[in-house]
Amino acid sequence: MTDPTQAGLRESATFDRATIAGIQRAAETGVYDIRGWGAKRAVPHFDDLLLLGASMSRYPLEGYRERCDTDVVLGDRHARNPLHLDIPVTIAGMSFGALSAQAKEALGRGATEVGTSTTTGDGGMTPEERGQSKNLVYQYLPSRYGMNPDDLRSADAIEIVLGQGAKPGGGGMLLGQKISDRVAGMRTLPAGIDQRSACRHPDWTGPDDLTIKILELREITDWQKPIYIKVGATRTYYDVKLAVAAGADVVVVDGMQGGTAATQEVFIEHVGIPTLAAIPQAVQALAELGLHRKVQLIVSGGIRTGADVAKAMALGADAVAIGTAALIALGDNHPRYADEYAKIGSAPGYYDDYQDGRDPAGITTQDPELSARLDPVEGGRRVANYLRVLTLEAQTLARACGKAHLRNLEPEDLVALTIEAAAMARVPLAGTSWIPGQGF
Amino acid sequence: MCGIVGLHLKNPALQPELGRLFVPMIEAMTSRGPDSAGLALYDDTGMHVVKDVGLPRDICAAHDIASRSGYQAVGHTRMATESAITPEHAHPFTPAPGLALVHNGSFSNHASVRRNLAFDGITCTTDNDSEVAARFIGREIARGADLEDAMRMVLKEFDGFFTLLVTTATQFAVLRDSFACKPAVIAETTDYVAMASEYHALAELPGITDARIVEPEPERVYAWSR
Repeated sequence: MTDPTQAGLRESATFDRATIAGIQRAAETGVYDIRGWGAKRAVPHFDDLLLLGASMSRYPLEGYRERCDTDVVLGDRHARNPLHLDIPVTIAGMSFGALSAQAKEALGRGATEVGTSTTTGDGGMTPEERGQSKNLVYQYLPSRYGMNPDDLRSADAIEIVLGQGAKPGGGGMLLGQKISDRVAGMRTLPAGIDQRSACRHPDWTGPDDLTIKILELREITDWQKPIYIKVGATRTYYDVKLAVAAGADVVVVDGMQGGTAATQEVFIEHVGIPTLAAIPQAVQALAELGLHRKVQLIVSGGIRTGADVAKAMALGADAVAIGTAALIALGDNHPRYADEYAKIGSAPGYYDDYQDGRDPAGITTQDPELSARLDPVEGGRRVANYLRVLTLEAQTLARACGKAHLRNLEPEDLVALTIEAAAMARVPLAGTSWIPGQGF
Repeated sequence: MCGIVGLHLKNPALQPELGRLFVPMIEAMTSRGPDSAGLALYDDTGMHVVKDVGLPRDICAAHDIASRSGYQAVGHTRMATESAITPEHAHPFTPAPGLALVHNGSFSNHASVRRNLAFDGITCTTDNDSEVAARFIGREIARGADLEDAMRMVLKEFDGFFTLLVTTATQFAVLRDSFACKPAVIAETTDYVAMASEYHALAELPGITDARIVEPEPERVYAWSR
């Protein structure tokens, strides 16, 4: 096909080809688009920040001889058995149902191999996942799918999910084509029928009632398990303050780039704030309470590299969580499936139809033949490798900044490349002392 | 780059000589810190602090340090890194009565510790990283820690490179970070304990050839009390 721009044709910035295709699809079908992945639009992100390495006024650490520790304790505010992870990169909540049992097992294997945690999702805890995960965080969601006290007690931490970055204010979604008998059984709902989870918890609204719910969960688990509260990033400053007031040991903040297995496109792209903008709000809330690094902050939404890990921690996160990146490590969007992606109207690098259950990589599917393509042991090895690289990269950058521990990275180690990023991250524009919004 | 020196007299007979013994020590560190200098002298009336920009020789002469008596002295010559060259930015930092800290090195997380101290109502008067350590130790002592424990807490709280010499009215303590890159040497005789960034600052002390000389190990608090 010849390039239309070579013929002098001009594409509209407002009505670009994806927008036109969306209108055409809506007109054809009369239903809104549902897809997986997170926000695809460009938003200010960690790439817009740079680290100030040491040279004369600060001293860097030697990469192969001098230590740069990476461990993190999560949940020691109230829980008797906080998690002590070897690395500050965790696996975010993704449900069995959204993912195959093999994928869930692979994530558990990978996380365990490098000493970090993995997380269940909307749909309960599978034996494969529990069995292969040394540190398993159990999500407690509005749907209560698969929720039972035995699984609460067998978890290593409990994450009360109020929302996620891809859809703050919205509930989970699992379309009928992915609801196998096993998935249906765990959720005590019929197979093959679309499931739309509630957007808020059925038995409490607001932090006052949540305080009571948390006490209930602590009683059920004998005050042993850390309790996280996860929020999608919107009014993060207030949400973090209220999460702390309700009794959280750990707050998880998921930015708008955070992924989903199935959500309305309009929701993914138009609700929530970027991860970069959420972290300083969360840290401000914790610092004002005197609880920064005492109530730990886990940040997710667009973490891809060790640079992202280092920058998130420099802004004040205690740890990060990865979801989309972990799926890519497992094989999602791999070029080896190019022909099969083409058959379902997609391509490597573009595939986001996780809701559809026809994932050629066998990750976001319940189809027995497709899901058999993912070997949990090999998948676990790939996830572990990726987590190791993230950690080594973050250590490389922290050592360059003179830090013997990743947690000692601080906002003063960062500058911004753009005014937008400077304003959101509350760090100076590179080469200046100007932080937009904080005077001149 | 900075130079630090300290002299803790065990033998009361040497007390009239404190200034005379100490001035050559701090002057020997001029090359490590030509921007500014400061010292704290301890005698029976308390701690006396002198800080100014310029060379140690001139500062000591202006205040006739050589004629001073006392039982303990610490000094610092400064080559500024990230904060201004003013008398206020010079060491020692003295955040509480009797407490003095001198530092050679550079903390890499002082902004975070500074924020934590501010939450407790403890504000620094300069943007100097060493002041943060001084105020941190001051807070821990105010909370009931002894000096040695407070310095061990520095190891947990602070990142970066440091050789610290911290004194109170009764104690004299040295600590190096885990990398121990910033130099330090301690000499001890029956008459005194002396510490310096480089040995030649100690070379004129009486009986130095018979002193027990050690290079302080990383992450170990060396402390003496009177």
